[in-house]
This record gives sequence, C-alpha cells and structure tokens, in this order.
Amino acid sequence: MKRIPVTILTGFLGSGKTTLLNRILSEQHGKRIAVIENEFGEIGIDQALIINADEEIFEMSNGCICCTVRGDLIRVLGNLMKRRDKFDYVVVETTGMADPGPVAQTFFMDDEIRAEFSLDGIITLVDARHIPQQLGRSKESTEQIAFADVLVLNKTDLVTPEELDEIEARVRGMNRMAKIYRAKRAAVPVEVVLGLEAFDLETALVKKPTFLEPEYPFEWTGVYALEAGRYEVSLADGPDPTMSLVAIVDQGCDDIDLRGGAERCVRNWSEPPLELAPGARIPCGRHVRLKLETQGRKSFVLEVERAASVGLFTQHTAAEFDLAVAPVGRAGAGRPLPPKCERTWVAQHEHDDQVGSVGIELVGDIDGEKLNAWIGRLLRERGSDIFRMKGFISIAGDPRRFVFQGVHMLFDGQPDRPWGDSPRRNQLVFIGRNLDRAAMTREFAACRV
Amino acid sequence: MSGVTIKEPQGVLRSRWSASVDDYAIAGGWALRGDAIVVADSAGGVHAFDGTTGRSRWSRRDTHPGGLLAIAIRSDTVTLATAGQDGCVRLWSIEDGEPRRSLPIADGWVERLEWSPNGDYLAASCRREVRVFSAAGEEVWRSPPHPSTVSALQWLDPRTLASACYGRVTMFRIPNGSEARRFEWKGSLVSMVHSPDGDVIACGSQDNSVHFWRRTTGKDSMMSGYEGKPAALAFDDSGTLLATGGGVAVTVWSFAGRGPEGTRPGELEMHVLPIMSLTFAPRSMRLASGARDGAVVVWALEKSGRGKPIGVVQLQHAIAGLHWHPDGEALVALDAGGGVVAWRVEAPPAARRPAGKTPR
Repeated sequence: MKRIPVTILTGFLGSGKTTLLNRILSEQHGKRIAVIENEFGEIGIDQALIINADEEIFEMSNGCICCTVRGDLIRVLGNLMKRRDKFDYVVVETTGMADPGPVAQTFFMDDEIRAEFSLDGIITLVDARHIPQQLGRSKESTEQIAFADVLVLNKTDLVTPEELDEIEARVRGMNRMAKIYRAKRAAVPVEVVLGLEAFDLETALVKKPTFLEPEYPFEWTGVYALEAGRYEVSLADGPDPTMSLVAIVDQGCDDIDLRGGAERCVRNWSEPPLELAPGARIPCGRHVRLKLETQGRKSFVLEVERAASVGLFTQHTAAEFDLAVAPVGRAGAGRPLPPKCERTWVAQHEHDDQVGSVGIELVGDIDGEKLNAWIGRLLRERGSDIFRMKGFISIAGDPRRFVFQGVHMLFDGQPDRPWGDSPRRNQLVFIGRNLDRAAMTREFAACRV
Repeated sequence: MSGVTIKEPQGVLRSRWSASVDDYAIAGGWALRGDAIVVADSAGGVHAFDGTTGRSRWSRRDTHPGGLLAIAIRSDTVTLATAGQDGCVRLWSIEDGEPRRSLPIADGWVERLEWSPNGDYLAASCRREVRVFSAAGEEVWRSPPHPSTVSALQWLDPRTLASACYGRVTMFRIPNGSEARRFEWKGSLVSMVHSPDGDVIACGSQDNSVHFWRRTTGKDSMMSGYEGKPAALAFDDSGTLLATGGGVAVTVWSFAGRGPEGTRPGELEMHVLPIMSLTFAPRSMRLASGARDGAVVVWALEKSGRGKPIGVVQLQHAIAGLHWHPDGEALVALDAGGGVVAWRVEAPPAARRPAGKTPR
C-alpha cells in the first residue's frame, strides 16, 4: 500500500512560506494537495483542501522514551486518511517560531499515522537578508535549519553574491545533509520540494551520494560559452605549486545546474588526479592536477569539439591564480573571455554556531550488540541535542545493509537490500548541537568486530 | 492480509445482506426502532437502509461541505444529528431523510456529537469548546475553552456531560453548566466510555494505555502495556466487562469482585492487525470485534473476561464500525471501502427457541 507523502514547510515569519505554498498549489501538476496550516492564510486554491489546525504539542511516551508530538496532526491526518483516494500529498505548514521536532516525531510515534503517511521531507525557507541576525537570536531558527532536508535560501536579490556565499557556507556548516537552493520570491521548482523521499534513506542516497562530504573540494566554478576549437587556460603564480581542476561540458548556469555539476565533480574528484605539466591538454570530465612550480604564467590547452558551455571547477578561486581562458589561432586570440557565470564555493569557516554535522565513514563490519549499546547510550544522553541522523551500517554476519534514521531520540532502522558486490562500509551522519566529532568517531570505530 | 481467510461467515454468523456507500463508512447506528440502519460516509453522504433487506430507504449526499465527521441518533430513534468539517451540526428526520435544522457552531471541525440518554440535549464539540443544544436545536450552554481540543464526549446520566481532552476529563451539570468534577492525568486522551451506572470512566490514551477513574471513590488506575493506542473501548450492559483494543488482541478487564486492579485480563487473540471497533451485544456478554485486517469476530465472554470466538467473517477492508441490532440478533459492519454488511447472529443455546420452530 502506497503511503501518502507529507512535506513539512518551516521557516521564520517573512521567509516566504506562504509564497512558496502558493507556488506549489497553483502550479499545474495535477496533484490534489491537502494543506494543514496553523495560522489562517489567504490561500484557497481549487485543487487544494486547506485545513486549519491548532498547534497542540504534547509529551508522549511509548514505554521507553518520551518525546513531544503534535496532537492536532494526529487527529487531522486520522480524518484525512479516511479519504485517501482524494489526496496525493499533504503539506504541513508550521508557524514561524515552531520547532520542527514535534511534527517530525509525530510520524514516528503514532502507529496509525505511520501506517498511512510517510514523512517525505522537511523544507526550511531561509530569509537570506535576515538569517544572520536570526541565527544569533533564536534557537528555533537554528533548529529549523538543522532539521531540513531542503534549505531554500530565499530573497537572494536582497543580499550581495558574497554575502549569499557566506550564508550558504554557514548553513552548510550546520547541516551537511540538506540540499540547498537559492531563490528569489521563493521561486524553486515544485519537484525540489515535493516528492523528495528524503526520509527514505535509500532514495535519498541515490539522489545525493555525497551527503557525507564535509565540503566541496573546489572553491570556484566559472562557466564559459565556447565555440568549437582550441583554447588556452593560463594561470599566473599563485599560493600553491599545484591546483586540481575538473572541466565539465554542458554546464548550465542556474543554481540547480551548478549544484548538479558540483555533485558530479565531487565524484570525479574522488579519483586520483592526472598530473599535467604546462602545455598539456586538459581532458573534460577528469580530475587533473596542474603543475605550477615554474615561475611566470603557465598555459594549458583546452579543446572543444562543438560549441558548448564548459564549466571549470577549480581547487582555488580564479582570482588567486589570475586564471584566464582565451581562444587560440583565430579572431580574439589571446584575449581572455569573461565567464558566462561564476560561483565561489566558500569553504566552511569556523562559526560559533553550536549546531553542526558530524559525518562518519568507516570500512569494516560492526558488532550489532556494541552498536545497540552505543546508539542507545548516545540517544539517552544526547537525544535532545541530536536533531537528525541517517546512515547505513555493515552489521557483521548480515548479508544486508542496515539502514537507519532518526529524529531526536526516535530511532528507526531495519535491514534493507543485500550488499552484493558493493564494498561493505559504514556511513553515518548526525546533525546536532555541540556534537563531539572526535568522540563519536572513536566510539563508533570501537563498535567494529 | 489476515490469518483468517474465510469467505463465508462461520459459527453463529449467517449472511443477511450487504450494501455500499460512496466513501469510507465512518459512522452508523440503528434507528426507527430497529427497522433501519443509518450509515454516514466521509465524503458527506448519509444513507438509510432497511434493516431486514438492506434496501435503500433514502440517501443524502454532500450534507457537510468538506466532509462529515460524526453522527448521533436520538433515543426517539427518529432524529439524526450530523456534524462535519464545515463547522455545522444538522438535524434530520430519519423517516424521510429531510433536513430539520442547521446549527452553525464555529469555524472549525465539529468532531464529536452525543445525545443525552433521554434525548433532551445534544452535545457537540468543536476545537476546544463544547456546546449543548435542546432537542429543538436551541443552544442551552457553551463551555469555557478547554486546554486543548476536545477528543471525546459522554453523557454519564441525563444531566451530566463528560468531556475528555489532553490531560483531563471534566464533568458538567447541564443545563446550568457548572463544573461537577474533574479528573486529571497527564496524557492525551483519545477515547472515552463509561460504565452503564456512570461510576467508571475509562479513557484510551495516545501513549498506549487505558486510564480509568471511579467517581464514587475518586480512585484511578492505569492499565498499560498496549501495543498501540486504545481507540476502541466498550463496556457490556452489566458493567462487568471493559473490552479494549490497542493492538491485535482484545484485552478484556473484569470489574467483577475487586477487579480489575491486580487481575489478569482476558486476551482474545485472532486478529492479525490492530483492533478498530468493539461493541457488546445488548444485555449480553457477546462481544463483536473488528480490525484493520477486515475480520469481524464474535466472542462469547465469561465474567472473568476470558472467552472464545463463536463467529468469524472476513471482509475486504478495515472494519470502521460494528452495530448490534437492539434485539442482539443481527450485526452490521461498516468498512473502510464503504461496505455495509449485515448478518443474522444465532442466539446462544440457552436462549434458543424450542426445537421445531425456525429462528427468524
């Protein structure tokens, strides 16, 4: 039986939740959506049912643990499920100041709700203009970012590109698991907010295989509109005797394309680089390392078979090496081309944010009992500080991958498909407050057989 | 789906008729002195069927824009009250299905509806408020706001109304509305029943327990260890047995002697998915249980709470409601697919008519 997907929409007052909701509802996707709101909104669109709910939060125990859930949601969804053929989606919009925890926990704690609905994803809208102040002032704002599967950095027209890059680096530092989109007036495609299956770990991992990567291994991307032919990529002296680079053909310029390219690049980057001396040709789609020891400007060759947008993902920013791309042997030869668009991927700075992500990757089989004891203790002691966790584990003696996820101290795990030929390894990510990366990594490693 | 794979009813159940409504059959009840059964579906349809043949007497659709949430049949068996997502209560004649009166309550779902035992008053809850109307539809009382949404209503006697919400059960004297008593307990109460004498109030709680209070002594007890939230609760007419759902087993607490505190309950096991509906036959210790697995089981219980299955049948969809005919010799099940199925139920051996005469 297919469960009805539920999307939780959070974000501070003024972050653009209602605008996004309007977009979702008015787009011609042919889906019937039920919206559960806590404040009376203006929206009322033909294909949607708007239900007003009182945000009733209460503590509930399932025998061994206590947590807070949303009682009103249990009732409203309990009624909605009696008309299941009529809705394809449910969107729960929370009040600006709401902690997303109780909403998410409701889907773990109530068996009836769990049987009929699946938590599809948590979308957090971030007001790019005001988020730096909000992060300083309210823990709700921090928690909304920490819980998110998707972060929409909205109102990007109200800040400079540099400020935006800073903000992105900061929220990325807090939540490494989330996909980030930039938007003006909450204009993001509906498919990036609905139908995420973010709580379905298997699908989520296929969509974002690099969710454990601490940060991108490149700092800059420039996309150049190139004709068929030969180009010179030249660099002046810079801070490093080498620089890694990946060139990608048909790289788009909008935010989603850039991120898609970045994800592909991360995979290229994981392969050993091809060492290139000055004068060598740069192959596309390969991780290369440019040798830059010699003094003065050094040139490399880039050949394009047909007119295309080519993205250069570079380890350092273009400015650090005064990187230039210029045609060779024809009109405009030697004259540097301006990039069609560029993006600086700000490396994660140390912020004083207490919220952060801890990713653990480890090869080797894990002892189920030791793991149970460790997770049990971790959740007992730190459950309120751990907002989200996801991962898969290689349990000794089990041919299947053990997949788990959790919200605060609620933990949900089961064996899924067999490992087959893929290498057995463990990947875990925790998002929480004041997490001790070293201790967690050490303690998890101690669970190996 | 179910461990019980039976097409034809077994044991005391004999097929009688079946009918259907447009959507999930959410509520129902016998009316017209047992001649008809009224069934409401979640799309807002209300339908009356002949109790003997299952033929449609009348149907009304779109009674509440947005959907219907509750119905209540008055003790005169001819007046129906319905409530829905449109924030209204409506009164209807069951004779002909004609509307009598529409009572706007508030902007919100009207989720609970109960007639007082003698039919003098109708209580309705919307969000945190309860309103009481006269039989003619005049408002006689309005409660102060409860601390959270009202989850259940019960009339303990013709003048005492009990409401349940998060953390408490409150009793009000009607029509003056004075608060007669309050029982508090930190937990989300999702269902409520009372013993026929009004002494015991039992509530199912979201955290998988049943909590009950005795009004005479003020003592309360908690029965925990359920697999799920006990949304289905039923007292038998003698007040001896309290049947509770909350998992795949029916747990029956016996109030005989000094129980149920410190006693072992009867555990009735046959369903494979959680129990959704429990109802005792009138003046009897026969219990009907319906579950998410689509099975309906009739049990013969002893005073101890233990018992055995004496009839079983498997339907296609989850069982949303079970309604014994007032004479106890027929049972109607409502299911999540809109099915309405009626069976004749053979009388217990002791009550059988003399040989040679065929039962009805």
